[in-house]
Amino acid sequence: MSPETPLRLLLGPQRPVVNLGDAMARCGIGDGPIGVISAGWQEAEGDIDDVQRLVQNPLSDLRIYQRTEDLFAADKCLHDAYRLRQDRLIEQQRLYRMRLKHLMVAARHTLRTEGGPAVVAAERRHAISQLRALDRHHLGQVEKLHRRFDREFNTDSYARLSEHAAAIDDALSRVETALVTGGNVVVLMNRLRLFGLDRRLRSKNIIAWSAGAMVLCDRIVLFHDLMPQGRRDPEIVGKGMGLLPGIVLLPDAAKRLRAKDLVRIELFSRRFAPASCMTLDNGSLLLFEAETLRDSDAAKRITRNGKFRRVRAA
Amino acid sequence: MNPALRKLLRKGTPEPADIDALLAEQDFPLVDGPDVTFVFRGTVDEVNLRCWISGLDTAQPFQALPGTDLWVTTIELPKGSRIEYKFEVVTGDSRELILDPLNGVIAEDPFGANSVCQGFGYVRPEWTLHDPQARAGSLQSLQVDSSVFRESREIQVYLPATFRSNRRYPLLIVHDGIDYLRYADLKIVLDNLIHRLEIPSVIVALIQSPDRLKEYGGDDRHARFLVDELLPRMSDAFPLLDGPGARCLMGASFGGVAALHAAWRFPEQFGSLLLQSGSFAFSDIGRHRRGPVFDSVVRFMNELREQPGRPAERIFMSCGMYESLIYENRSLVPHLQSKGVDLRFEEARDAHNWQNWRDRLRTGLSWLMPGPAWLVYE
Repeated sequence: MSPETPLRLLLGPQRPVVNLGDAMARCGIGDGPIGVISAGWQEAEGDIDDVQRLVQNPLSDLRIYQRTEDLFAADKCLHDAYRLRQDRLIEQQRLYRMRLKHLMVAARHTLRTEGGPAVVAAERRHAISQLRALDRHHLGQVEKLHRRFDREFNTDSYARLSEHAAAIDDALSRVETALVTGGNVVVLMNRLRLFGLDRRLRSKNIIAWSAGAMVLCDRIVLFHDLMPQGRRDPEIVGKGMGLLPGIVLLPDAAKRLRAKDLVRIELFSRRFAPASCMTLDNGSLLLFEAETLRDSDAAKRITRNGKFRRVRAA
Repeated sequence: MNPALRKLLRKGTPEPADIDALLAEQDFPLVDGPDVTFVFRGTVDEVNLRCWISGLDTAQPFQALPGTDLWVTTIELPKGSRIEYKFEVVTGDSRELILDPLNGVIAEDPFGANSVCQGFGYVRPEWTLHDPQARAGSLQSLQVDSSVFRESREIQVYLPATFRSNRRYPLLIVHDGIDYLRYADLKIVLDNLIHRLEIPSVIVALIQSPDRLKEYGGDDRHARFLVDELLPRMSDAFPLLDGPGARCLMGASFGGVAALHAAWRFPEQFGSLLLQSGSFAFSDIGRHRRGPVFDSVVRFMNELREQPGRPAERIFMSCGMYESLIYENRSLVPHLQSKGVDLRFEEARDAHNWQNWRDRLRTGLSWLMPGPAWLVYE
């Protein structure tokens, strides 16, 4: 049960303003059953009563977080391998962060400095290209670690995973639309990948908010300028599902980004170019038909010079 | 003179009704930029401002405003300062320390309460206030049988609102834990920081010593109690993450000494320390002058300064600029950093008190135990 051209309806956080129901009506998502993925909520997975109150469609959670917990409890070999991979990913991220810090400082200084326009522009381009090179390298290393794990533990050949994947396929066969909630974006992506959902969801309509929207992109970029210890440099944490290539989504940007720091925002935009960086604040909406933007409301994209402009559908 | 008082005296001696109106209209003490004016009304012989601030006189006299029963004194407080104080009121042979009758803001501590002056630029952090959105964790008692102290000791344990017995949690051990709950709103702070994802869900052991000046002053028995008795008891009773990286020791004043001492005596046991206004007294030569209660502290600190080792991977230290211990705290920083400790030191325009310690908890805890805010997009 799959639509001809799948829709991707992306929303910002569903607090304090809830726009899920209105957005679904606006985009013509029918009233058929919906499969929910709330693994980003971790132990609160499946607490979807609040969501159910907003929509008429029957909802059923695919429980991919709990399925993983059950697998870990039953399969020490899988659990140990998963932990080992996570330890290596953490180490990889630490080393990336260490190198990133210095390149970011250099790039910010280069963007702030004055001088002969041609000379400065060339140095800025180079500083940003170094950042991109590090990002590419890191993404490659992260992907290697995932692939090493996936070779042994995948839904095609690892029996326990296959059983769950079959159950998930069965549930998905009865729905045209999947709904992916926010939450912990890394946990969410890891669990999606474990059950091959990055492939299995491709043909479905997907409604997603915040972290759920981030995982649809080809790269997942973590960001938060307002942590208790101050701003942190944005980090690529890994690949997403790749359903919306060329887009970096920034949920809750109004609360997480220092929008007035033009140099910082400009650097953000230029570092991830040619991808388009788009905000998804509370109340905003982006609708894609396959990979084509069809509708938007209150979402903004960051321009090359660090300004925020409304996203307009073609 | 403060503008409100100048206005009161503009037309000469004010009527009692004008004074009543002033006292009803204004918040006290009167804060006008860095100038803070304390006001007392009463028929007395003498009034002094008593605040235990290193750098200020311990007793600052008030002046009587002629023709009135008002007494005033003004001090200069740098931006962002917060001080605690009392009024010393003298009538005949009677000399009494009282709270500022015109100021309802007080801070309680184990010895009673003080009035609080929130200087220009100081705002109580909102994360120290009850947030109805934040789910409340729970407190439960736990008995710890101690062969070191030859008695059973009751401690309190904080469990986060999202506690699940099948998950594992980092452990925070808090010296003077009950005082932290009472006087530094620790439970509210934990609930709020966990709710905001600024720290992870954490299990907190709140310990309280019956003889803290002795046991917390560099006493090996206390270090053994923590490592050999409390840690195993906590591990038996609760699902804790393994390893020093998931264990943090915290304390203020002598509690800071106890935390540092235990980590120094048993390196590799605690990955991080939160030390607030630690009573880190030492002597470079001759005898120290802080009294006999500090003898064991000075012995330990002198030994630690000779051989700091690496008590923990990460240490967050804070101290008020208006406490005499600022010198000792500042001087400890390079000793520990030189041994490769990842150390952050925060100074505050405050003194040796619980609200100073409360106000530093967010930066300290979130640095030592960063929460998942970075990864969570709700």
